Amino acid sequence: MLDIIINTIKNAGFVLVFPGILFVSIAGLLLAGIDRKVLARMQKRKGPPILQPVYDFFKLMGKETIIPHEANKTAFLGAPIVGFVSLVVIMLFLPIAGFEAPFGIEGDLVIILYLLTIPAVALIIGGSASGSPFAGIGISREMVAMMAYELPLVIVLLSVAKVAGGDSLAFSLNTIIDAQAGGELFITKWQLIPAVLAMLLVIPAEVGTQPFDVAEAETEICEGPLVEYSGAPLAMFKLNTAIKMFIMTALFSVLFLGGINLGIEGWYGIVLNVVVLFAACAVLTILCMTLIHAICARLKIEHMFKFYWTVVTALAAISLILVWIF
Amino acid sequence: MFKKMIAKSMAKSPWIYHVNTGSCNGCDIELVAVLTPRYDAERFGFKLAGTPRHADIVVVSGPITSQSKERLIRTLEQVPEPKCVVSIGSCPRSCNVFKGSYSVEGPLEKYTHVDVSIAGCTPKPEAIIEGLYKAAEILAEKREAMNK
Repeated sequence: MLDIIINTIKNAGFVLVFPGILFVSIAGLLLAGIDRKVLARMQKRKGPPILQPVYDFFKLMGKETIIPHEANKTAFLGAPIVGFVSLVVIMLFLPIAGFEAPFGIEGDLVIILYLLTIPAVALIIGGSASGSPFAGIGISREMVAMMAYELPLVIVLLSVAKVAGGDSLAFSLNTIIDAQAGGELFITKWQLIPAVLAMLLVIPAEVGTQPFDVAEAETEICEGPLVEYSGAPLAMFKLNTAIKMFIMTALFSVLFLGGINLGIEGWYGIVLNVVVLFAACAVLTILCMTLIHAICARLKIEHMFKFYWTVVTALAAISLILVWIF
Repeated sequence: MFKKMIAKSMAKSPWIYHVNTGSCNGCDIELVAVLTPRYDAERFGFKLAGTPRHADIVVVSGPITSQSKERLIRTLEQVPEPKCVVSIGSCPRSCNVFKGSYSVEGPLEKYTHVDVSIAGCTPKPEAIIEGLYKAAEILAEKREAMNK
């Protein structure tokens, strides 16, 4: 009986505090803030404070929520929550910073691949429930964008799984981390360098930042699926985007940087690991999102699709072939 | 605690929606200048929103023409509470040189409550930033009034 209670409290802690809701929200919002600040510095501006996304979130929480007359109320209000929950569940599968994933099982890489599509699907559901023509254009673009970045992502995951598994494919994140233990990080393997580049290009499309934000083009189709959202549901969607930034960079660090484990025992070891992981995520965010945002204008959807299915897929495929031969 | 945080955030992240009601484009250009790197209104958290549903501050420029009157009223209705209305330039204040024209139905006060009115033809970007900052403070006051 006591075991059950202790386990319940432990699991509640996992979901609510450490890899779960509280940690991932703070980390995601801070990453989004760093992204905006560094972007401003790149354009020689002073830029908003790093806590700006937190202010935006709380401000939107305090605004009135308007539900349009034509909207389906349940789907309209439920969609942001579905997206948020699936993102928190992904965090429970990721073995980051030397911390054993609470839900870690065989084949969790495949589960993460499926869960990563759910926030985008939630955006599509929410947009189509709002009944606005701008949202209609936005969701059709979102679907094309999903198809564009999913293919290279799957190929990257396949090549990493092949390297980690040796003769067979290892779809377990713990196996991937164990294979990188002792400093043999996958980012240093020459066969995987094209895959690293492909993954760095998949991250901004998955998050939906500037050059690849075709679905939410605010100057063109009024933020697409989010056009009718206001107040708390909009705050949830903004939070989801920020969390996705953290999750995609954390997934990168699990796949290629061994989940950042400095190998120090004890609780301060974990704290140090988390700090280093956050720093690595910030560097990755600046490298693959802020930098591209600062130098590129928004692409058209057909250009984005073509880019991902030729250049990025080719990079990932080269890596897969190299991994299979050597 | 959350209520305090919300009231504090209200003043720090005002999103702007810009409505042009027949302006000569002078004020619009100055508003864009405010958001560019030179004047950088984003350091106060200002951001141009794509749709009135995301907006906190509605910026109106131009004397209200007959064509834009209905659209202006509809746009203002779509903005969620608490909201602020800011008029830029002399046109929404007094119709400026267009006063008396058969197609001008201003000033803006006839149709809505104006929280901040920035005078000038056209106002300088510094004046616009100050006016918008005042509107953001009014926004926080309105939010606190909603709590009571």
